[in-house]
Amino acid sequence: MVAEMTYIMAGFDMLLVATLLWLAWRLLSTPDIFKAVVLFICFGLVMALAWVRLRAPDVALAEAAIGAGITGPLFLAALRRMERLSKEERRLDFEEDRDADHSPGKV
Amino acid sequence: MVFALVLLFAVVAGLVRILKGPTAADRMLAAQLFGTCGVAIILLLAKGLDAVVLLDVALVFALLTALATTTFVRRTWYAGPEEEGSDGEF
Amino acid sequence: MESFDVLGSGVIIMGLPFFLSGTVGLLRFPDIYTRLHALTKADNVGLGMIILGLILQAGSWAVVAKLFFIWILVLIASSASCHLVARRALQKRIQPWSRK
Repeated sequence: MVAEMTYIMAGFDMLLVATLLWLAWRLLSTPDIFKAVVLFICFGLVMALAWVRLRAPDVALAEAAIGAGITGPLFLAALRRMERLSKEERRLDFEEDRDADHSPGKV
Repeated sequence: MVFALVLLFAVVAGLVRILKGPTAADRMLAAQLFGTCGVAIILLLAKGLDAVVLLDVALVFALLTALATTTFVRRTWYAGPEEEGSDGEF
Repeated sequence: MESFDVLGSGVIIMGLPFFLSGTVGLLRFPDIYTRLHALTKADNVGLGMIILGLILQAGSWAVVAKLFFIWILVLIASSASCHLVARRALQKRIQPWSRK
């Protein structure tokens, strides 16, 4: 019974670590920023689970609150601001482009 | 004990679900399901590891996934063509 | 006490299929509304049954009260956020899926 429990917990740990590494890889390699933000939130949750498994509930609390809870919504808000900003910038670029002379020497 | 097996199943379910995210809102729903699964896993771990402190972590999980979804609806996923003006400013 | 333990384990095992079916529904259902439907089942009933099972096995009244508060909090939070998502989806004029 004890040996079975050990195997089950080892399987749980391996699955947790594999999920963590996989999430980190996808989070860094994805081109879609919104997808990266959602993956970041999930990464924070899995990281908190790993801390819980390591019997460090205080670190898990901090990770869940700061890593997933505050930074995720802040990223979402920043994403919206970024989109709006880039839209305005694009419009400015367009106007400048219309006004500017299209000499080939300009970069 | 059945708990560890139970939470193993829940983690596998969460893994499979994260693996494919169809659209923006579906990804956010997936994140919310992941938060709920996380609460369940932490509760079962608290029973399995005999650590009552972990219940506080579960409380924080429950609070913060809802916060993330609400922020997503308010800030990122705005109403499409008619561009309502009320939810814009900080 | 022993019978309560067995009963709690049974209730936890009964709660598991709700989580699994919520995940399967999230993967298999065609549009956002049906996925919300699957998600709320996992949130409310699945977690509710797991918490009920843990309450049956809990040692002290403080733990029981805390588990109950977690359940209430998840209930309020998940239903509120799912309602927000569904309302915004309706505002965005996303058509509900229907069999052609």
